[in-house]
Amino acid sequence: MDGKTKMLITLFSFGMLVISFIIGWWAKKKATTAQAYFGSTGLFGPFVVGFSSMAAVASAFALVGVPGIIYSTGNAMTFWMLSSGAFPMAYIILGKKIRAMAEVGPVASLGDISDLRFNNNRGIKVLMSIIIFIGCIAYLASQIKAGSELFGHLLGLNPILAGFLIFGVLTIYTAISGEVGGALTQAFQGFVMVVAGFIMIIAFFKVTGGFKSVLEVVSTAGTVTSGEIVKEFSSGFLDAWGIMPGSVAMTWMLIPILGTVGQPQVLTRMYALKDPRDMPKMGLYASLSHMVVGFMAVVVAYGALFLVGRGLIPPLSNPDTAIFAFADYLGLYAQLFVYAAILAAAMSSASMFLSLSAGIISRDLPSALGFEVEPEKQIRNSKITIFILGILSIIFSLTSDSMVAILGTFGWGTLMSATFPVFVIGLLWDRASSQGVLSGLIVSLILNVISLLLERTGFKWPGGMPWYVNVITASILVTVIVSLFTKGATEDDLDEKVKMVIDL
Amino acid sequence: MKLKEKITSMIILTTILWAIITVCGWKGQYILGMILGVLLMLVYMSIGAANQGVLNKKFFTYPLMVWAILWVLSFILSDYHGKLFTGTMPSFTILGFHPSFAWTVITYWIGGVLTLTLGFVLYKDLWLSDEDWNNFIKKIGQIDGKKEVS
Repeated sequence: MDGKTKMLITLFSFGMLVISFIIGWWAKKKATTAQAYFGSTGLFGPFVVGFSSMAAVASAFALVGVPGIIYSTGNAMTFWMLSSGAFPMAYIILGKKIRAMAEVGPVASLGDISDLRFNNNRGIKVLMSIIIFIGCIAYLASQIKAGSELFGHLLGLNPILAGFLIFGVLTIYTAISGEVGGALTQAFQGFVMVVAGFIMIIAFFKVTGGFKSVLEVVSTAGTVTSGEIVKEFSSGFLDAWGIMPGSVAMTWMLIPILGTVGQPQVLTRMYALKDPRDMPKMGLYASLSHMVVGFMAVVVAYGALFLVGRGLIPPLSNPDTAIFAFADYLGLYAQLFVYAAILAAAMSSASMFLSLSAGIISRDLPSALGFEVEPEKQIRNSKITIFILGILSIIFSLTSDSMVAILGTFGWGTLMSATFPVFVIGLLWDRASSQGVLSGLIVSLILNVISLLLERTGFKWPGGMPWYVNVITASILVTVIVSLFTKGATEDDLDEKVKMVIDL
Repeated sequence: MKLKEKITSMIILTTILWAIITVCGWKGQYILGMILGVLLMLVYMSIGAANQGVLNKKFFTYPLMVWAILWVLSFILSDYHGKLFTGTMPSFTILGFHPSFAWTVITYWIGGVLTLTLGFVLYKDLWLSDEDWNNFIKKIGQIDGKKEVS
């Protein structure tokens, strides 16, 4: 890549960073109460919330890691990226109940909803906060690492310097504007991703001539080599399951679809919506924008397969470079939007997980441990926590590769294993007891840690399935079975208003 | 459809489904696992969409049942065409896609999104009407008022 191209990509991407900062700065005037600062509760319409939900869900992994997996193993991963129907499904299952909880009492965080549902049960709040915190930090570290290394490499900068430039700005605007700025900047970043998506999809059709050409190339290319790098092609690559075991395709369908309703970045946005009757429209905006971004991830992988199969570029030594290889082949216009889209994806997820983590440390955990703090002080504490966490995360992400890799085990499945018992079972079923949910969370935390240790030893789960499916199932089983024999926060012990929410 | 008295049974059903789906994954029975996954999602959506324990039949039929049928068909047809062309270039394509993957695109992705989003928008009042929401807010206000007085 020549110097002029690098300069234009830098200007384009940093332009997006500057606009995000301006939005965050402007939004700070709205972040005056704890509900607004921590949850942007009831503040926005369906367009902003829908786009911000999509952007927070579509992380840098979706645009870099997913095309790499499709390039390596074929179509199984497309189930994950084409899971756009998960948004309306999540809202149908839980949307009105989560939003209604914000009318029952002051709701600024998921911990507040847990308090209302389970009568301020400290154990539930502590355990849920710890598991969500682990998942958030894992996500945050991987976004910072991906974004900093990408731009560090592009500009010839030390990744730590690039990290402080990009995520330092993000930390500042997240701290000053909280979730108000978070929602607005994520919506803007989501919009950038959608524009990039349209451009890449059109470019894919122009370059390849369409999916039939890709199928012909992949089915007939056989083995392509360049030096020591070998790429094997086969027709099975592009059937629905790819070359992975069918159980993996099953997992990659089930977990993103049902997992969306358990992701904090989706749950918190349900109560950010001003009018709950706009939830269907929000589902429309979130899923349509996700369709474009998800399809972009698929077509760039197909594009890379086509180019390698045709011999137009050499096989990739690192599959995660599939999106860059395709963009580089297309030229400057694609490079501008691809780099901006990846930066947007990393920033939108990072700001969400930074503010969630800081909220847990500065607000939810202290309250669960019995420390009552005034709302104004909560906001001040959170601003300080965001700064400290932001700086530590940048340093940690870029200096401790092994720890980031270990934490990378946690993520989507970990978050789902903590939120499913509390919110999905807790708000759909009035018999979900505090003892049941607490037991489910204990099992979830223990099994998450054990699975991490087993993964490090190279342990393979039956059927080649990812470990988190087993953990999620175990935590749900325990929650329901224990609830059937216990009564905490059910029947007469269930708040009258919460009962109305469950019935709504 | 009155679900009020059946919700505990439905939650137990979802729990059993989670367990069976996991075992299906262990045993490589992925198509059965995926079909049961659709049933699992259908049960969760039915409970979530119910109002005062009653699920509107129209909303259950469309979008929920239509979506469920689309997805079950999608997985079965994907598997059928996957097996039909194992190890060979398919003799035909659907919209340029491998016939197995075409069902992922047409029914799982586009069909699934359009059915759920449009059905949800079209029948939003069957999920949450203005009257339902206003009554809820009014009752919450009344309970809060009583608490303040007492």
